[in-house]
Amino acid sequence: MATPEELAVIEKAKVLMVGAGGIGCELLKTLALTGFKDIHLIDLDTIEVSNLNRQFLFRKQHVGQSKAKVARDAVLKFKPDIKIEAHHANVKNSDFDVEFFKQFNVVLNGLDNVDARRHVNRLCLAAGVPLVESGSTGYLGQVTVHVKDQTECYECQTKELPKTYPVCTITNTPSKPVHCIVWAKDLLFARLFGDRNQSSDLIVHTNDRTSSAATADTDFFNIKDGETPESYACRVFDGVFGDNIEVALRNEETWKSRKRPRPLYICEVYSDAKKPRIDGSCNSPDGNDKHTASAARILGLSNPQEVWTVRDSANVFLKALELLLNTRQKDIGSLVFDKDDQLAMEFVTAAANLRSSCFDIPMQSLFEAKGIAGNIVHAIATTNAIISGLIVLEAIKLLMGNLDDCRTTYCLEYPRRKMLLMPAELSAPKSSCYVCSQSTLLLEVNTTMTRLREVVEKIVRGQLSVNSPMISQGPCLIYETGDDLEEDMVTQYNQNLEKFLDSLPAPIVDGSILSIEDFQQEFTCHLQIKHREIFDEEKEPDNMVLSGKLSTTRDQALPGSVQLTAVADNVSIHAVDDDDEVILIDEVAKQDLKRKVLDEESVIVCGKRQRTEVS
Amino acid sequence: MEVRNNNNNKYDRQLRIWGDQGQLALEQANTCLLNCGPTGSEALKNLVLGGIGSCTIVDDSKVEARDLGNNFFVDWESIGLSKAKTVCNFLQELNDTVKAKFLEESPETIINVNPDFFSQFTLVIATQMKEQSLLMLDAICRKQGVMLLIARSFGLTGLIRISLKEHCVIESKPDNVIHDLRLQKPWAELKRFSDEFDTEIDDSVIHKHIPFAILLIKACEDWRKTHGDSLPSTSKEKAEFKNLLSSKRRGVDEDNYKEAILSAYRVWSSPTISSELQKILNDSAAEVNMNSPDFWVMVAALKVVVETIDTSVILSIKYIENVEFLPRPF
Repeated sequence: MATPEELAVIEKAKVLMVGAGGIGCELLKTLALTGFKDIHLIDLDTIEVSNLNRQFLFRKQHVGQSKAKVARDAVLKFKPDIKIEAHHANVKNSDFDVEFFKQFNVVLNGLDNVDARRHVNRLCLAAGVPLVESGSTGYLGQVTVHVKDQTECYECQTKELPKTYPVCTITNTPSKPVHCIVWAKDLLFARLFGDRNQSSDLIVHTNDRTSSAATADTDFFNIKDGETPESYACRVFDGVFGDNIEVALRNEETWKSRKRPRPLYICEVYSDAKKPRIDGSCNSPDGNDKHTASAARILGLSNPQEVWTVRDSANVFLKALELLLNTRQKDIGSLVFDKDDQLAMEFVTAAANLRSSCFDIPMQSLFEAKGIAGNIVHAIATTNAIISGLIVLEAIKLLMGNLDDCRTTYCLEYPRRKMLLMPAELSAPKSSCYVCSQSTLLLEVNTTMTRLREVVEKIVRGQLSVNSPMISQGPCLIYETGDDLEEDMVTQYNQNLEKFLDSLPAPIVDGSILSIEDFQQEFTCHLQIKHREIFDEEKEPDNMVLSGKLSTTRDQALPGSVQLTAVADNVSIHAVDDDDEVILIDEVAKQDLKRKVLDEESVIVCGKRQRTEVS
Repeated sequence: MEVRNNNNNKYDRQLRIWGDQGQLALEQANTCLLNCGPTGSEALKNLVLGGIGSCTIVDDSKVEARDLGNNFFVDWESIGLSKAKTVCNFLQELNDTVKAKFLEESPETIINVNPDFFSQFTLVIATQMKEQSLLMLDAICRKQGVMLLIARSFGLTGLIRISLKEHCVIESKPDNVIHDLRLQKPWAELKRFSDEFDTEIDDSVIHKHIPFAILLIKACEDWRKTHGDSLPSTSKEKAEFKNLLSSKRRGVDEDNYKEAILSAYRVWSSPTISSELQKILNDSAAEVNMNSPDFWVMVAALKVVVETIDTSVILSIKYIENVEFLPRPF
């Protein structure tokens, strides 16, 4: 298929693949068949059973092994004469610095999260290496190209950040299944089985403080001397589904325009029947294997797609709690929720369902709950195969120096205007992009009451996705990270983290401008500080707001092009719901293609550009 | 059930797309691939990974050196051997629950000499075949009720065409559903229940707790008395209807009236049987017999309900007559 010139370029090209999962497996195959001979591959993950429906380089016996290494071995078996170097590592590792990236002619991403993509984007900009980006979810997918100074970088278009829910919604006023699942996972499960000393929002307080829930007692969730797992489970049940709700109901303001929840007590659920009792089955041989031990199975609930009743959920809640206490004693106090931990998942589903029933929210099956709790993205082989083909086509164009032919291509679920693959021209870099065009951001924050640590965590590492930040104000270094720092500097920085912004040695006040740098990413941006006293608890849960400069004239697309803005990344951390800017994963994946210029003639078909004016 | 549950983990990510039923359909399908070059092999790979019931590869060619560059499912060691067998073995490795078989024979020969061969399959995938053979194959498949999928690829272009007599889809999760609360035509028990409420009652607590649906039922009755048994249809009438409701509202805290006004649209947008649906009900295939597919049996049942019980039963059935992915083949 390739011309002799293309083949020559392909054979000499050195390519970096980031990600050896769904897209990665297909991509490695396609690269090998196309004639690429020098490939580096980075992936930090190990193979799981759920990968096997599409990551075809892996087999059952490979579960637990490194994706990058097994992928390499599988392809070498078919093409022993090519060079594949596999790195079982995190691409954010400092080994993969600008010098590392500079050795490649092109970088191909097959990642599944925004954070890593941003990191690779910055490194590619720093190294001046073109980047082919891609993503897929179910039937949808897209491929695009980023070239420094010539096209938009990955971050020119703002990406949806992982949504954090306002604490009050989770603790007081849930209205969706995801709120109850987050409560069950991050509050209840964490409090019962995780670090006890971490402060918890699990307890509900009334405004007047004259009375609060029994659960307000800090020892409430600790098992009492002589208390059996069964009675402990019942006590916790009544506390969180009964008592806590009663207390919450006393806050009249909260329920003025909301539906009032109903407390649920053990005695109501089992008014006419016996509770499931502990018997020998909790000590069964498979009780210690976290993948197979199951409360649901013991209770006869063998279909994960079936939605349990309130009684079922209560049964599972009590049973799972007992089993966890009995079989995981050594883990209690340090257990981290893992969606593949069967008992934990059952417990969370049951707890979420019970809470949902109190708030009249539809309950979920184990299968659905797992998807929400684990941020699972649906995926099949076909879409990834298509995407990998498109990636290689774009890579070849880049290697041949034909940037004009490069496109963003969307793979749709249904044909639209008779096309299943929709191409669009690339856009010029945005002058307002703080990553590829030096521009300033605005941070609104309460400088008298906010500690530096919060800004570093929520803004610098969080929203700005900086890996190893160095923060300075003018000539004064306020904070930095690194292995080669002197001890007294480290001490000073740690002290700085705990200080309020306006109490720092170089005080940060209204009007201050901070520089944020990351040497590895070769990233610099400026943060202008604006002091603000009040923040909306629901809309601005972080108590600080980051915003960018308005775009200028440089943002217009290249002439004769169609602007399509899509909101589809294979972003596994997202849960966004359409009522209050939060859509469940499925809907984020439904690309929202807005045609800015409705001009059919300027659509690129079959690689031939129609040179028409934008009307 | 146990076996299925064990495979749930492997198929988890795709179950979240097409659910249990979709997966069952896949696992019950017997497919036949004609020609296992790159196009056919790649297609079958995706089906095998997904758990197709069985696949039978028909191809009489041997693996040659030039195949190694474009087909991932043949290797150096298989040069000279049957391509069908080689590809089959590789695909079997991908998923041991799939029954992978092969037949070292040319598809054209089978079409000419043994057309009944195709009757055992749910779906035939014909790749890189010539028009003449395809025409014959199409006739065979149509006669035997087998689905046919044709694929050709040339360099960077390709085409897919599907040929089947009828494809029935029941939309079980329609995007926009307005549930019919039977406000305009309450059935006997609902009417009796509604009559128990008195919107003129003095007691304010009771007044503000009358369910909004009851308020709307009563509003419909009142409207009908003064408008000749019809329902609001013009925007003026709809506004008037809403005003009637708000005039009965006694206070800002009467959420039931607020909800009734917001839901007033239910009164005039109650779904009826669409012409598309009627067309399906009137189709001769709705006269079912022992061999009728499930879809038509359900249509026949729906027809009985619609004709004998009530015309305001709601179901939404979409009927796809022709499935085409590209405008025309070439």
